[in-house]
Amino acid sequence: MDPLPRELGNLTTSGLLASDGQDHTWSSGNRSWQRTVLRNVGIPVLSIALLLLLWEGIVVIFHVAPYIAPRPLAAIQAVTDNWGLLWPLVLGTVRETIYGFVCGAVLGLALGVIMAKAPFLHRMIYPVLVLSQGVPIIALGAPLVLILGFGVTPKVVIVAWIVFFPVTVNVVAGLSHVDKDLLNLARVYGASRWRTFFQIEIPASTTSLFSGLKIGATYAVTGAIIGELAASDGPSLALYQEHANSNFNVAAVYGTTMVMTAIGISWFLLVVGSEVLATPWQRRTVARRSMFHRRGDGATSPKVH
Amino acid sequence: MYTSRMGALALATSLAVGSLTVVALGGGASAAPLTNVTYAYDFPGPDFELIPMVVAQDQGFFTEAGLKVKVVFPPDTSTTTKLLATGAANIGFITTTDMGVAVNAGAPVLSIGNYTMSNNWALFAKPGTVLSAKNLKTELEGKKIFSYGDTWTESMLPFVLKYAGLTNSQVNIVTDPTGQDLKFLLAGKVNVATNTSNYEVAGFDTSGIKGKESTLLGTAVGAPNIPIWVYATTQSYAKSNPKTVAAFLSAVKKATLWAVANPTKAATEFDKAYPTSGYSDAYSLAGWKLTIPFMKNSSGQYFTQTNAQWATMAKALKSIKLISSVPSPSTYYTNKFLP
Amino acid sequence: MSNNDLLQLRDVGKSFGSTVALEPTSLNIEDGSFVAIVGPSGCGKSTLFNVIAGLLKPDSGEVQVADQLVTGTAGHVGYMLQKDLLMPWRTVEDNITMAARLTRGVTADDRAEARQVAEQYGLGEFLRHYPHALSGGMRQRVAFMRTLVTRHPLLLLDEPFGALDAQTRLEMQQWLLQVWKQAQRTVLFITHDVDESIFLSDRVLVMSPRPGRIIADFVNPLGRPRNLDVLTDPQFVELKSKILHLLHGGS
Repeated sequence: MDPLPRELGNLTTSGLLASDGQDHTWSSGNRSWQRTVLRNVGIPVLSIALLLLLWEGIVVIFHVAPYIAPRPLAAIQAVTDNWGLLWPLVLGTVRETIYGFVCGAVLGLALGVIMAKAPFLHRMIYPVLVLSQGVPIIALGAPLVLILGFGVTPKVVIVAWIVFFPVTVNVVAGLSHVDKDLLNLARVYGASRWRTFFQIEIPASTTSLFSGLKIGATYAVTGAIIGELAASDGPSLALYQEHANSNFNVAAVYGTTMVMTAIGISWFLLVVGSEVLATPWQRRTVARRSMFHRRGDGATSPKVH
Repeated sequence: MYTSRMGALALATSLAVGSLTVVALGGGASAAPLTNVTYAYDFPGPDFELIPMVVAQDQGFFTEAGLKVKVVFPPDTSTTTKLLATGAANIGFITTTDMGVAVNAGAPVLSIGNYTMSNNWALFAKPGTVLSAKNLKTELEGKKIFSYGDTWTESMLPFVLKYAGLTNSQVNIVTDPTGQDLKFLLAGKVNVATNTSNYEVAGFDTSGIKGKESTLLGTAVGAPNIPIWVYATTQSYAKSNPKTVAAFLSAVKKATLWAVANPTKAATEFDKAYPTSGYSDAYSLAGWKLTIPFMKNSSGQYFTQTNAQWATMAKALKSIKLISSVPSPSTYYTNKFLP
Repeated sequence: MSNNDLLQLRDVGKSFGSTVALEPTSLNIEDGSFVAIVGPSGCGKSTLFNVIAGLLKPDSGEVQVADQLVTGTAGHVGYMLQKDLLMPWRTVEDNITMAARLTRGVTADDRAEARQVAEQYGLGEFLRHYPHALSGGMRQRVAFMRTLVTRHPLLLLDEPFGALDAQTRLEMQQWLLQVWKQAQRTVLFITHDVDESIFLSDRVLVMSPRPGRIIADFVNPLGRPRNLDVLTDPQFVELKSKILHLLHGGS
């Protein structure tokens, strides 16, 4: 095969790159990496610190009684002093959140796919789904406990209940907005429906899916707490806080709230993190060499026409 | 405070979640200006223990005393003390153990009169199931025991378990802040319910279930015999409004005596004042009738508090480490406003 | 019917409701030729393409590619649109192997071939880039390579350079001619641009709407290889004039 004439060869590479010519991949030699971390981590940490300072200021300046609101340090100390007691409770809430989230995500994805693919089912199911979200979650606790018992199950159900709906809605939206021309092209290539679904429709909906997952993640921990506040036959983080409240241990109340918030934020960040990992094309110009990418084994190069 | 909720709490909660429900008991026609008093109940919704308040209003006792009383309901059972401490409420209805932990945390609440005189908190089981002091250990071991999760129950249970010779891990305590004790008991979800007898028996008797619940008084199995509920205010409010506090208690006493003498009429007034309470008229009447015997002490007195009751309460709380030190009983109460 | 014809259409017609998008049309395309199709909107050129590609079943007639009747069935031609339709979540290399991925699965041979094609046509450094990092012209190049590796002898290109600026378009036209010469395929090329149609093709079909049909079939007299001087050659201008008159009404 003749190589391209030089004039053409130059044209193909010079000046035709869309990017600004900068290397957008992360490497240890790239200074902007540190700046990005500083920006994305440093600033939120700073604003939280300022918030705590403000809290401390209010308590001190307005002489707020310790049984109304504690100083931030007292709240944190109430947590650290009892960490041995709190840690298993935290794990319990985390477990409920994760199980519930996974169930909700899987259910949401399955429902979304079914509804996107079968318009008749879509019309039948959608009103039921909307109804399910109209039910105040707080009112779910009592009947669920009566049916499912006092263990982890009702909590998982509540979390899944909260999580699945935004996932379903977003998956349906994502699947119905796949480029029709791309789907036609796949048909021209002779693609089977399954391959089209897994190779085109699903990846094209990834952004929508993660939108739904992020929304679900935000509320998942709230669902776990609501579940814990319904009857349960064991200790839980929410119950610990309830007791602290009745026992006038206000520092512990605030401290536990901080712990619950931390759990919620961590879970959300985890989901965001998985989005970053799952959608490298959103952030990178060049794909990373990954161990999953099978490299060519130097097979004989076939004739190309 | 301890009632068989049967859906009432669901109604009350959905109406008042996160906010205060304020019901104005309108004042009667009176020439002299009335003093405003905000009274905070101990529970998110009204029930038959509120009857003296209703009667005091309906029979004009508050107006006679120069008072205009507004009843507010807290979002949960542990907020009333905080309402008093912040001044959002002037007088409130709380438990003696709530008093104990509040004072321990530095909140200057002050008890001005007992509501009932003794501890009628008990263990309950389905008809046919035996609960006895003798065989308590076998009757409780491995069983599911219902708890409201509030300070009172948390204070009482350790005494019962100690009496039975059991640790927490040898029983299964089911905590339900929404208080569906009777429902769980009848559905077999718990083996033993805990509640105060006036609420529990009233609930059971009006549930239509045949027979009588098995009852075992807490005091028979190690629980201290201390009054459960009191009227309370803050040290500062009592100091700046002594006449108001005295007037309040005088009106409440008149109302209490009237309601004790006329229970049916009193219960009817309650049902009329709170038609959406979620409780049946039969339940309110039954509950009030069951409360009456506990309101007088052995000398026939209403409201009078003793050093002994508060000392016992404080010692009990200290023994289960809910408070750090035992103050002198006079820190908690005064009888000087009693009529 | 000559043995040299790669594509044969026999009385292929398609209507949508009461609109006749394409009148029954017969057409023979010689193997290895480059045929341009010009016409205004609604003249049926896209319908013609979609029928040949198998996306649409015609109301009448037959489509034959080589010696196979392919009426209404897909998977027999290469196909490219104005939109590059590259999968944004796949690298350039993975996009080039798209046909295999969508049918039998990608083999090491497929990947090696993709790499070779990319290198051959100047995009070897960009194999692991994502499409959004490339310019419009480069993306169309990748789309073309994707079409090439499918080995289909017949390629349908529907205004592939329509979204590019004039400068890039000229470069892409020259690039396309090079690749077509090396790859030895048969190309059907739709365009709005009369200059482009004459610059690239051996034969120009002019279509007209209402109903959609071929109204003229010109043999392109210009020789190959083509360079920029061709654009001002008198034969070019003469053919262009004829076509323009057909498209816009004579005076």
